[in-house]
Amino acid sequence: MKKTNLILASLLSCSLMLGGCAGKQTSSDSDTGKTTLTFFHRWPKEPEKSYFEEVVKEFEKQHPDIDIKTEAVLNDSYKDKIKVMTGTNTPPDVYFSWSDEFARQFVRGNKALDLTSYYKKDSAWSSKLVQSQIKPYTVNKKIYGVPVTMDGKMFFYNKDIFDKLGLKAPTNWNELLNVLSVLKKKHYTALEFGSQDTWTISHYVGTLNQRMVKPDVLSKDYNSKTGTFTDKGYVKALEKLEELVPYFNKNTNSIDHEYARQQFSNGKAAMFYAETAEIKLFGPTKFKIGMFNFPKVEDGKGNATNLTGSPEGFMISSKTKHPKEAMEFLEFLTSKQMGEKLVKEVGKYSAVNDTANSSNSTPEQLEAVDNILQAKEMAPWFDMAIDARIADTYLTGAQLMLNGDKTPKEVMKDVQKVAASVRAESKK
Amino acid sequence: MLKRNKLTPYLYLLPAFAFLLLVYIPIFQNIWDSLYEWSTFSPDKVFVGIDNYVHLFKDPVFYQALKNNILYAVISIIFQVGGGLIVAAVLEDKLIRKFSPFFRTVYFLPVVVSMTVIALLFTFFYNPEVGLLNQVLKMIGLDSLAKPWLGDSNTAIYAVIAVSQWQSIGYIAMLYVVAIQKISPELYEAAEIDGANKFKMFFHITVPQTKEMTFVAVILTLTGAFTVFNEPYILTGGGPGTSSEVLSTYLYKTAFSKDMMGYASSIATVILIITLLISLVQMKAFKTGKEDA
Repeated sequence: MKKTNLILASLLSCSLMLGGCAGKQTSSDSDTGKTTLTFFHRWPKEPEKSYFEEVVKEFEKQHPDIDIKTEAVLNDSYKDKIKVMTGTNTPPDVYFSWSDEFARQFVRGNKALDLTSYYKKDSAWSSKLVQSQIKPYTVNKKIYGVPVTMDGKMFFYNKDIFDKLGLKAPTNWNELLNVLSVLKKKHYTALEFGSQDTWTISHYVGTLNQRMVKPDVLSKDYNSKTGTFTDKGYVKALEKLEELVPYFNKNTNSIDHEYARQQFSNGKAAMFYAETAEIKLFGPTKFKIGMFNFPKVEDGKGNATNLTGSPEGFMISSKTKHPKEAMEFLEFLTSKQMGEKLVKEVGKYSAVNDTANSSNSTPEQLEAVDNILQAKEMAPWFDMAIDARIADTYLTGAQLMLNGDKTPKEVMKDVQKVAASVRAESKK
Repeated sequence: MLKRNKLTPYLYLLPAFAFLLLVYIPIFQNIWDSLYEWSTFSPDKVFVGIDNYVHLFKDPVFYQALKNNILYAVISIIFQVGGGLIVAAVLEDKLIRKFSPFFRTVYFLPVVVSMTVIALLFTFFYNPEVGLLNQVLKMIGLDSLAKPWLGDSNTAIYAVIAVSQWQSIGYIAMLYVVAIQKISPELYEAAEIDGANKFKMFFHITVPQTKEMTFVAVILTLTGAFTVFNEPYILTGGGPGTSSEVLSTYLYKTAFSKDMMGYASSIATVILIITLLISLVQMKAFKTGKEDA
């Protein structure tokens, strides 16, 4: 192990030189006349793994002349690996991408194929997608990705506890604090939170920023060319998060999100801020689950009703030799049939219209889908919406704030500093 | 026949070429890269000279990481080298030698377990609510010492370092066992006749006689401490904040999460220089110690 670390320095350049050390990307196999597509996603674990395997098998059955090679690595490694792989000469033909800034970086780097013409040509397919989910993959009115799943972040609560204490789902910040303090007084863990991984903090921060800061200021700041983060709303948003600290379980920074989810679904905590895609992961609970959107904040200048959440989807490499076949595969992936299968087997919500129904979803899941469809506007996941360098400083700072090691003002000061250097660099 | 004979020596050289290609070229490439500002997305590299280094030496996270690496090194030398020698001396003592194979296995076992498994194990061990460590502390009435070990910025790095000590002490101890077995038993016998106690024998025979091994062990732990990656990366990811960041995790994050390849290359160069200095000291030390060999 020590030896491996010794050459870490060389590994860095090595991996770049050898093209990510990843599997070979073949293009066309002349012996069999088959077209080979490489497909890279981020679900090496169940249930998604089997789902994609089955989709690929089904697609290959219907298109005997196309062969699909799948590769998958998990979440955080995916973020790192895809950047390296798209930088090589043989990037995967079809690759997973989060939306917004994460997708935009591929567009800026000229790594993604413009799919607008395909959307126009095959309107029978494209009109069936939930239209609001296409926007996060749109840059300068051109569409660069196909959304496969949609998701939203909501507060989930234990209805049994709420009923017992006569509590109602809060609609604004003060009501939320009231509910939390009642729960705390009755010795419940009011709000379960695991902030060991900073993305969980990002969901709180992102939503609070939406609530506290004017939308036009927000979009100016989230753009790495113009972002300054000097608006007072950002400090206020972090202060709001601080107000929740007394109601969180203890030691949030040493607990991960999975553990926190378990605590909630075991009935050990009354509330949990989670993605709607997690409902299936709660498993069968002994209590009824209720949900509500992040409440509006009284003194906030931002959008009071946004739902935080982004689609996840796929992009096609600009270097692919088979754009038509790649697109065919993505259209197949987002057919109604495959969408219904996704909801049923994975428990995530397809970005295809009318794919969740009573035969493949629980009432809670239907309620969640309804909430996403009803949302007038969606706010992207914060860590996917801003430059990775700013996000890193922002969130590690917020993590220290949760421990009481930093004040909101200090966190924002660091963020402003990084934003300034990112700004300067993007002007070069 | 003749032809093959001519070819053979070159075949023996092949591994050297492979080594050259896979180790030295990337190292120089890395130094070269550190003079540029680039990302995997940028169409071209921008030459910035030593800007990355200037930025690096003003970067508080870099100093935090460096400090953590130094902390790693100091603690590792005390516990792994010092502790390893003591463990080895005890295991090789006449009284325990009979059971020594059993204890050797016990100490060596963690060395062969994969770091990922160990990290997972210790995540449970350190869990503030259900973890073994806090449970035990509470059981023996030391509630006040119970802490969110990995989640507290003051304890996270120590908790991570402790795991490395637990894992590696057995390895160093085994090295010392070999060294101690090479010491002539007559030395101990003579000391015993002269009436020396165990402590005196340890300090006057074992320690000086295993000097060579101590050099090796110190170099091993030092380079290990400056290139450590798995433990902090898996246990805390460098958090909370940047409190348990070390150079290699910072390098990794800078390169692959923040996509600042040039800057990351400059961190890699610093790691290279530090480890290079350590090996230079090693070479020097071995030359002076040669009269014993």
